[in-house]
Amino acid sequence: MGALSALVFTAPAVLAALAALPVLWWLLRVTPPRPRRVPFPPLRIVMDLIPERQTPSRTPWWLLALRLAIAGLAILAAAGPLWQPEALPGTGARGPVLLVIDNGATSAHDWPDRLRLATSRIEAAARERRAVALVATADPTGEIAPLAPDAALERLQALVPTPYLADRNAHAPGIAAFLQRQPAAEPVYISDRVQAAGQDGAGALAAALRARPGIVHAAPSAMPLALVEVANRADGLVARVVRAEPNGREGATVIASDARGLPLSRAEARFAPGATEAEARFDLPLELRNAVARAEIEGERSAAAVTLVDDRSRRRRVGLVSGASSDLAQPLLSPTYYVGRALAPFADVREGRGGASEAVSRLLDENASVIVLADVGALDREVTDRLTRFVQDGGMLIRFAGTRLAAAGDDLIPVRLRRGGRSLGGSLSWDAPKTIAAFPATGPFAALRPTREVMVRRQILAEPDAQITARTWAALDDGTPIVTGERRGQGHVALFHMTADPSWSNLPLSGLFVDMLRELVNLSGRTAPGTQEADAQAPPLSPRVVLDGFGTAGSPPATAKPAPRTYATRAEPDHPAGLYGPAEGSLAVNVLLASDRLAPLDLSAFGGTVAPIVAGTSVDLRGPALAAALGLLVVDTLLLAILGGLGAGIGRRRAAAAAVLAFALVLSGAAFAPPATAQDAAPRPPVRKEDLQAAFQTRLAYVVTGDAQADAASRAGLQGLTAALAVRTAFEPGDPVGVDPARDELSVYPLIYWPVVVGRPLPTDAALRRIDAFMKGGGTIVFDTRDAPSTRPGGEPTPATIQLRRMLATLDIPELETLPRDHVLTKAFYLIDELPGRHAAGRTWIEALPPVPDGEERPARAGDGISPIVITGNDLAAAWAVDRDGNALYPVSGTERQREMAMRGGINLVMYALTGNYKTDQVHVGPLLERLGQ
Amino acid sequence: MAKVRVVDEAGRQPGRPVQALALELAARLPHMMLEARRVLAAVSGVHGRRRAGPGEAFWQFRAFAPGEAAQRVDWRRSARDDRLYVREREWEAAHSVHLWIDRSASMAYQSSLASASKAERALVIGLALADALVDAGERVGLLGLLPPRSSRRIAERLAETILLDDAGRDRDLPPGDALPPQAEVIMITDALVPAADFTARIAGISARGARGHVIRIVDPVEELFPFDGEAVLEDVEGRLDLRVGDARSWGALYRERFQAHGRAIADGCLKRGWSITTHRTDRPATEPALRLLGILAGGGVQRQGAA
Repeated sequence: MGALSALVFTAPAVLAALAALPVLWWLLRVTPPRPRRVPFPPLRIVMDLIPERQTPSRTPWWLLALRLAIAGLAILAAAGPLWQPEALPGTGARGPVLLVIDNGATSAHDWPDRLRLATSRIEAAARERRAVALVATADPTGEIAPLAPDAALERLQALVPTPYLADRNAHAPGIAAFLQRQPAAEPVYISDRVQAAGQDGAGALAAALRARPGIVHAAPSAMPLALVEVANRADGLVARVVRAEPNGREGATVIASDARGLPLSRAEARFAPGATEAEARFDLPLELRNAVARAEIEGERSAAAVTLVDDRSRRRRVGLVSGASSDLAQPLLSPTYYVGRALAPFADVREGRGGASEAVSRLLDENASVIVLADVGALDREVTDRLTRFVQDGGMLIRFAGTRLAAAGDDLIPVRLRRGGRSLGGSLSWDAPKTIAAFPATGPFAALRPTREVMVRRQILAEPDAQITARTWAALDDGTPIVTGERRGQGHVALFHMTADPSWSNLPLSGLFVDMLRELVNLSGRTAPGTQEADAQAPPLSPRVVLDGFGTAGSPPATAKPAPRTYATRAEPDHPAGLYGPAEGSLAVNVLLASDRLAPLDLSAFGGTVAPIVAGTSVDLRGPALAAALGLLVVDTLLLAILGGLGAGIGRRRAAAAAVLAFALVLSGAAFAPPATAQDAAPRPPVRKEDLQAAFQTRLAYVVTGDAQADAASRAGLQGLTAALAVRTAFEPGDPVGVDPARDELSVYPLIYWPVVVGRPLPTDAALRRIDAFMKGGGTIVFDTRDAPSTRPGGEPTPATIQLRRMLATLDIPELETLPRDHVLTKAFYLIDELPGRHAAGRTWIEALPPVPDGEERPARAGDGISPIVITGNDLAAAWAVDRDGNALYPVSGTERQREMAMRGGINLVMYALTGNYKTDQVHVGPLLERLGQ
Repeated sequence: MAKVRVVDEAGRQPGRPVQALALELAARLPHMMLEARRVLAAVSGVHGRRRAGPGEAFWQFRAFAPGEAAQRVDWRRSARDDRLYVREREWEAAHSVHLWIDRSASMAYQSSLASASKAERALVIGLALADALVDAGERVGLLGLLPPRSSRRIAERLAETILLDDAGRDRDLPPGDALPPQAEVIMITDALVPAADFTARIAGISARGARGHVIRIVDPVEELFPFDGEAVLEDVEGRLDLRVGDARSWGALYRERFQAHGRAIADGCLKRGWSITTHRTDRPATEPALRLLGILAGGGVQRQGAA
């Protein structure tokens, strides 16, 4: 039987249609494609030329073949070809197939394989015309009836793994009855091979199926992994991963996520060889540990591999009661302040109100798991009894000493106390304050390390007795206990032999205190928020979030029923795995309990042959055949279009398509091209020596215009100004330099003087960019048009003004105004009115200041920064210019007083550029002094 | 396989690009040819028109000679002074060239083998010839539309006139009025009319002795018929169509018929002493222009060459 036998048809009758192909061939042959229409002008003169042969040319053979292929493929597809069909590897029985399939939570991890296998079984049954009865072991029991394969297939598609374990035995009676009714039935069991350890997972089912041995499909070994427990232990969060038997899956990654589903951490669990349990340990801070709401095995996709964590292992509620009077106006002296602050990061702190007894009883009502009593002496008898019961039930009682405790006496302390305290390092004591010794290894603080800074000045002493050493959890250097504790019933009582406030010791101020309290709170075994009795009476919790069989959280199905608060068993059909109750204080129901373990199912008990879970390899060829026919049809259409004379248009379209394709390729190429990074940028040029020097010493700068006379005047002027600055102010600038804005680094100069020379080329774009950066970066440029005598207000702009306007045309220049009299520039060093130079007539333009609010009278105004630009026409540099001997180089238009004022203006300019608006504050000094009465 | 297209209405009009092409072509026509033409004109006397004689254009006023017919006095001029003048007209011995460019629907046709549509090629050749001829001193007009003139911007004048002539777009043949003996006619057409009609029209035009030249524009597809398979041939002017079952076998018949048509046209021309130049639109436009100028210069009708 060769490859041909591997091909069967589900509807072979349709193949008869192939016989019609010759007819189709003939039809196609005589109906060729529509002829082309060709415009042809000479037609008129040859109209009498009757074509010799009117019969059209035949349809081209290749077109004929193409169309026959399309028709053949369509017929083949309709016949339902199947490559390598699967027969039921059965016993030869012809009765209905009883398909039993495990769909409990442990079957979810390879559910698609199971589904494929079951589908191929049902399809095979359909080919053999056998009915199928479908039993899903995790679904509720019901009447088992043979179904038509189609209906069975539909039911199968609706099957999903359940978020609880399957109760296989429940189906045993029904199956037994079915097999009784259908003597020819053939059972096929697709098993997940897992049961809960210590339980009879499938005994009855096996017995029922053994009556008629069929086929058992199962993996070679029990494959699923499950998560049974997430324990919030003192040393970290531990997730326990179990498997039924060693199955080759030696490790798993467990992901812990918070209530919103965000992953918090991942941890590896590795099975020891042959072991069926492994632990994944999360090293998380306690705060994050408490936030863990869900842990799951990565990639397992099964409800059994998910453990939901409820409040029971989350933050503890700590009740805080102080014996001190509650009218404490100063919280830093409150004993509860430090404890509350230390507990807040990892516990839910409730402070009791009212009297001590009342507060304690209220906190116990609120289900606190830890009670802290800070220097509480006497409690009334009823509360004492409740507190005792609380500790017995697993509660944690932390007490702090104090004057009241020392005075009172109840038995809720771990040691007997001596009357009166002990003072160390006080004025009446010879002893120095004691530090805490290393913590005993047996106590809860074993993991902590004491710090030397902690000093204990006062303590309450315990009566020495036989148990004092065992009960000492922390001691001072001299061995006297400072923290004692005792286990009582399920819970603990701990006593700090000092106050909760820093009056006896600085321990409450230290980080050690936080750590110690954390260890104590973790010691609290009582994490359930309520007592059993209270829970039993509490109303049942309705399901809020329910997992599906794959471990995905969703809204609860209609079948999920409310669970009592005491619900502590595995998830059941009525109570599927999920979270029950309100968001705070919810109850988690998991597929597996912490104590559960998995065990392999004994398949030999079922009596049938065991086959692996391998889905059939049969390939349905219907789709490919139809697709091929469609593809050929497209080709045919294209060919027709081309033959019909659409060639030109198609050619254009093809070109367009090619263009689009090329465009897409280019785009994708661009997308995959490595992004340009900062490293690609050109390396920064090295800093030039001049710039370096300029950076080390502040100096004035002028722009070299290229006009020798103007440059000489600039240089001499700035030298004069530099000299004047050095003489009159605390600022001693270096020698002035000429800069070229296109070439030099400008950022090292505070002030740049720029004489505008008519006829010089405008600065380049690069220079303009640097000038812009300089001005934006806080520098000031003084543009000097040096043409004050020739300007008239409102008159024609002078050539220098035009030149300046052209220079500034592309710069981002702020709004300008003429120098107002109250501008800080006029007060920066000298008190001046304006900025004269060689000429005094020109006006000075400067960045406009923000308008003054009405009614505010200020002697000086300034904006936030300094003006990036000052424009003048007074030829400042010429007025400042001096020669080597300090003699003025150029005459001024007025008296020598004007030269002096020009110098003062220059000094003010420099001071303004260097100090900014600082003088606007200084001008208030006078009024301030007056107000102070000086 | 060749692809064909019918160009739109505007393609049959002498637009700016066509004029530019024509002037460019005219500029390329060698000056030598025009010089030869001028020499020839001087010798044969055909161009001896720089003197008074029978004609239409004004030549000069001359004094009235006693004994002349009084009706020859130009009274308008004579009224200006005391003497009498006679208006003399320039002797119109020079032949005026009458151009006719076929712009019927069949001209708006271009196949992928050709470099231009027939209409465009015809307009380019016609306008270029007009420009070159005016440059050489001839006067060029449009047959039936524009009297011959020697305007400097003759190509533009012709183009404008053609643009305004809507009726010309439906005519396969030129107006059949007989022209004076000195006139020369240049017909640029695809000659896709029955050869008998064509010959009759030529006979009509040359009834008074006018000479003529025919440039026959042929698209390569019309000559080669490179089709096969089934096709429906449509006439671009009328509603005719012809279903051809097997174009390849029909093509042989067609080519024979088409060549016969060409021969009939050529015979008709030669019989009347006209020249015929067949131009295929896949050839450069220079060829027919040069050939025609050569014929005009040589004065004789040559046998159809491979232009």
